[in-house]
Amino acid sequence: MNEMVRTDGLVKRYDGTLAVAGIDLAIGEGEIFGLVGPNGAGKTTTLRILSTLLEPSAGEAWVAGASVRRNPDSVRRVIGFMPDTFGVYDDMKVWEYLDFFARCYGIPPARRRRIVADLLELVDLGAKRDAYVLGLSRGMQQRLCLAHALVHDPQVLLLDEPASGLDPRARVELRELLRELRTLGKTILISSHILPELEELCTSVAIIDRGRVLAAGRVADIERRLRVGAVLRVRVLGTDDELEVARAWFAADPHVATAELLIDGQIELGFRGDDEESARLLAAAVAAGLRIVSFSRAASDLEELFLQVTALDEPPMDEVAS
Amino acid sequence: MTAATEPRRWRRLGVPGAISGVASGIGAVGVKELRGRMRGRRAFVVLTVYLVLLGVFAWMVELFIERQYSQGFGGFSYASAEIGRGVFTALLLLETLLVAFLAPAFTAGAISQEREKQTLDLLAATPISSLAIVSGKLLSALAYVFLLIFASLPLTALVFVFGGVAPDDVVRGYIVLLVTAVGLGALGLFFSALMRRTQAATVLTYVVVLALTLGSFLLWAFWLAMTGSVSSAPVRDLGGGVQVEARRAPEALLWLNPFVAQADVICGTETSFGGSCSIVSEITGRSVVFGGGTLEPVPVPAPVIVPVPEKGGVGGAGTVEIVPGANVQGGAPVRAFADVVAIDQPQDPFGVLRDAIWPRFALAWLVLSTILVLLSAQLVSPTRRWRLRRGASRQSARGGTP
Repeated sequence: MNEMVRTDGLVKRYDGTLAVAGIDLAIGEGEIFGLVGPNGAGKTTTLRILSTLLEPSAGEAWVAGASVRRNPDSVRRVIGFMPDTFGVYDDMKVWEYLDFFARCYGIPPARRRRIVADLLELVDLGAKRDAYVLGLSRGMQQRLCLAHALVHDPQVLLLDEPASGLDPRARVELRELLRELRTLGKTILISSHILPELEELCTSVAIIDRGRVLAAGRVADIERRLRVGAVLRVRVLGTDDELEVARAWFAADPHVATAELLIDGQIELGFRGDDEESARLLAAAVAAGLRIVSFSRAASDLEELFLQVTALDEPPMDEVAS
Repeated sequence: MTAATEPRRWRRLGVPGAISGVASGIGAVGVKELRGRMRGRRAFVVLTVYLVLLGVFAWMVELFIERQYSQGFGGFSYASAEIGRGVFTALLLLETLLVAFLAPAFTAGAISQEREKQTLDLLAATPISSLAIVSGKLLSALAYVFLLIFASLPLTALVFVFGGVAPDDVVRGYIVLLVTAVGLGALGLFFSALMRRTQAATVLTYVVVLALTLGSFLLWAFWLAMTGSVSSAPVRDLGGGVQVEARRAPEALLWLNPFVAQADVICGTETSFGGSCSIVSEITGRSVVFGGGTLEPVPVPAPVIVPVPEKGGVGGAGTVEIVPGANVQGGAPVRAFADVVAIDQPQDPFGVLRDAIWPRFALAWLVLSTILVLLSAQLVSPTRRWRLRRGASRQSARGGTP
């Protein structure tokens, strides 16, 4: 697999504070790579360095083989960047907006017209072609901004919190759009502090906090490496007494650390084991006569993983700042 | 710039592709800016108001001079020519004022507004060069100011109906107007790139514009008042070993002043010593020394002593003034004044004053504008911006390739 993005010991200092304290990343072609971390972790700084808007204080980064320090122009030609906060020109129409950025990349007029039409189609704004950008909803502006990052058919997309401020529906649409882009062979680096958003989307993630990578790799790999338990939710059919019996049955299993009856009638299990173990548990529960309606992993895997990882690593602040 | 970036820059500059790249970038930014600026009614309302203002003003000046003549205060030269000159003077000064206010207004927000609206990052992440961004912004703003300037040409051309002003005077005046637009536009652009906020950029720009126009003139006048009028007193006339050059108010103080440059242009139309010519002569008092190194005092009457407008009182100038292209100097107007002093009518005291200031004004502003645009480009560029105390960390940080 080709490496599309690579950083080596990336450091960024702002007037004494250390925003990025040595980040090493390696992102292969065609990946959707998630950069997860709380606010102020250094996600935006990292993305801005990769998009040549900031120069690193130390370290080096390459995008598609071009150095962001020595060859920013080549980097700019292969990336599409969507910043976390972005403005729109208030006196522009939607098609003019895309046309303008296409001009910035020196795309000839005939191709420009086709690209603008295609992109509007892709981000589902075809009907808004002649509307003013300022009049679009937040979700539409977000999609338009994503479209602007695609005018030159970049190999790498750098998306900083693309889903922030979107309603759930727009979020789902964005996710679909990113999946579609991945099938087009784009490498996507996406940052977020909302974890479930990334979990369903990313092939790999890096959890960063205070400018450092705490863990990186496939979500399942990180999970295994850290031996973090999963949370299982089981819905069992029956009366309250039967539910209590079911809870006790689950609690007796050696791999179940905690078993709790939730208010909505579900049983939540703190489970220490891999998929193999959870399949066995389900089979055993069915065999034991429990009438199981649903049996699933809680969606907040990554969130708990994240909390666990960031809790493991709590260096005192002055050590970071040194 | 450190060693690593140097070769890349040269390579970039050397390739013709880079030039066409900048050109297409300027086109992209320019088209976008013009689309925004010309959209809706605003651009046309401004143009209309501007022309109506100029027209009404010119008409008022014309009526005013006419009335003066009818009351017998006009002197003895041809009334029509006086009206032509008066209208030309009034129009040129008002237009200079308008351009001096409008040109910076169109550029002072050019970059800072993109920062405020957070659109600059989107632009900076594209391969478009920062030079293209700032030049595109400046050119599109100037395109509109130039439109205003050229739209006033037919109005100004009305002075030919009255006479007293030659076409080359109009050309000179419009060159000064265009240069004023370029220079003050570049000034606004620079402050826009320098400051984060449009408000701060606008205030700073106008403070500097005021300093360059009113401020420089007041300073010069103050200097003059303190040292005394010396334009008529070259080095030789001064006794007691006092250095004249050391005492004179420096002419360069006023090189950037568009109104002084216009005074120089207007002086070219004047038939008698007075008004703008007295100012110009006072400013360029040392022009005598310029004439082939001679220190001979040219019989320029000390302007402060000359009784002001005894129109037509000097050397029959009133009789030649209407002939186009041949003004009071009677010679080729563009000729270097050194020649004029030496060969052409040395008895004409005003020949030396033609084109004494405005070419310097134009040159000074064009050089300064270029510098300001380049500085703005540096300020806009996200990675090539100068930062002090960065050299060390950069040197140490340069690692190997993957």
